[in-house]
Amino acid sequence: MASASIIEMRGLSKSYGSGAKQTVALSNLNLSVNRGEIFGYLGPNGAGKTTTIRLLLDLIRPSQGGATIFGMDVRADSVEIHRRIGFFPAELSLWEGRAGKQIIHYVASVRGDTRGIVKHADELAERLDLDTSKKVRDLSSGNKRKLGLVIAMMHSPELLILDEPTGGLDPLVQQSFHSMMDEYRDRGKTVFLSSHVLSEVQAICDRVGILRDGELKAVESVEKIMNVEFSWIDVTFRDAVPAGMQQKLGRMPSITDVSANGKVLRMRMVGDFDPLLRAISDGYVESLHIEEPTLEEIFLAYYSGDKEKR
Amino acid sequence: MSGIVIGNTLRASWKQILYWGLGLGALGLYIDFIASSPDIISGYAELFKTMPPALLQAFGASDVAMFTTSEGWIVSIFVSEAAIFLSVFAVMAGLNITANDEQSGVMDVILSLPISRAAYLLERWIGYALIGLAIILLTAAITVGGMIGMNIDAPGDVIFASILNLYPGALLVMTVTSLLATVMRRRALAIGLSTAFVIVSYLFNAIGAAAGGAAADLMESLSYFSYTHGEAFVQGTYDPANTIVLLLAVLIGVGLSLKMFVSRDIGI
Repeated sequence: MASASIIEMRGLSKSYGSGAKQTVALSNLNLSVNRGEIFGYLGPNGAGKTTTIRLLLDLIRPSQGGATIFGMDVRADSVEIHRRIGFFPAELSLWEGRAGKQIIHYVASVRGDTRGIVKHADELAERLDLDTSKKVRDLSSGNKRKLGLVIAMMHSPELLILDEPTGGLDPLVQQSFHSMMDEYRDRGKTVFLSSHVLSEVQAICDRVGILRDGELKAVESVEKIMNVEFSWIDVTFRDAVPAGMQQKLGRMPSITDVSANGKVLRMRMVGDFDPLLRAISDGYVESLHIEEPTLEEIFLAYYSGDKEKR
Repeated sequence: MSGIVIGNTLRASWKQILYWGLGLGALGLYIDFIASSPDIISGYAELFKTMPPALLQAFGASDVAMFTTSEGWIVSIFVSEAAIFLSVFAVMAGLNITANDEQSGVMDVILSLPISRAAYLLERWIGYALIGLAIILLTAAITVGGMIGMNIDAPGDVIFASILNLYPGALLVMTVTSLLATVMRRRALAIGLSTAFVIVSYLFNAIGAAAGGAAADLMESLSYFSYTHGEAFVQGTYDPANTIVLLLAVLIGVGLSLKMFVSRDIGI
């Protein structure tokens, strides 16, 4: 029976330099990504996400361990693996003096099926509202990224490896991108997507791996990770914070870290909004601002919750 | 190797061939124009007689008699100048093989495609080798065409062969630059070292040929310029071993570049 796992990383490590100057970019990574899933690879900047992807693409070589894609070694069988994958780099760079369609033709010809691939590239470009007749140097950064997505997806690869793909895309295009990812999953294809944007991972991924300081800290379903979600709330009162309000909120079980700054009360909240809304109804609320937690905060919350359970 | 990268390199660089070929060809026409006047040639020949050997060598000849004939004039002046300009082209081409794409980040996209690092480097090298050949052929055609058009009494085949003889030297500079860029990983450092290689070679050739003794001979033998002297074609002393030495050095350089490029991290 064929393995359900598309990507396998075993003890994958990468360090730079030696002796006292040695920097560990990735340490003993063990991770499997299954066929047909969208796997979110989450971590703050510098966590080792891009290093992992560059190792998978054989752009850099591991210090220890190894990885397979489709059961083949990423180094020994890189050409055959690359035939079946699409890649979008975080720092996308393309030939500035070439038109989008020239680049598409070139990449398609290296892939060996110019006509079919170019036809699909045209469809993707239309869907992403991209003009491929313009030279890369004349494209906005958002449109360059669209072109990068077209190049990554135009040969309908079995596996897409996307490194921070939606940064710089407008919300409408992000929506189109999310739909494309859903279609990919529906067709049984696999996506390995790195991101530090929690909402994006929440919207499209099935499972997530959390990376921090080069170490994989957790691999969980999106639902489980999101269970520890909380929000930062800023309540701005018209006149002043009502007397005793800060203490009152601080006693509520769903609210912590309450601080006052002039007419603004800031707090961390989990669960439903109703108890909060009732509690602040004593004052005249001018505005309510809800802020998504950072990935780091989610990560810390997830782990503190995990420790409590233990 | 599919040849797709070679084709793409040539398509992207046809303007480069045209501009370099026309530029060097224009220089060839200018030298043709001077060579078409016996008075000017004899005037310069008198001037060159007063020069020390090292300075004479800097003008591309070891024997002042070279400047007394049209073909000697063209080969000495034009070929030695063209060798320097082609070295500039070769440094730029050597950087284009992998270093520029690696520095800009385009290499990440390229190497995510189904092409091996070795095949990519080789195809790029062949592409730029063909571009260099096209430039030299265009230059030679314009220069010899100019000679014919100006009714210069000189053997066209000798001039053509002496210009074509610049090719192995240009290939060597291109390969050395590509190798340095592959090893150093820093474009600016590769440019600096390649330029130093060209300048030191030029000085070794000029000083080595003018001075006598074992040290001078060694200096001359270490300069790639000394293997591409055009005057050998005029004097009938061309030795194919010189070309073979350069081509062997090119092969070794390409082999080392491949070894380095295949085994190291990309874009760090």
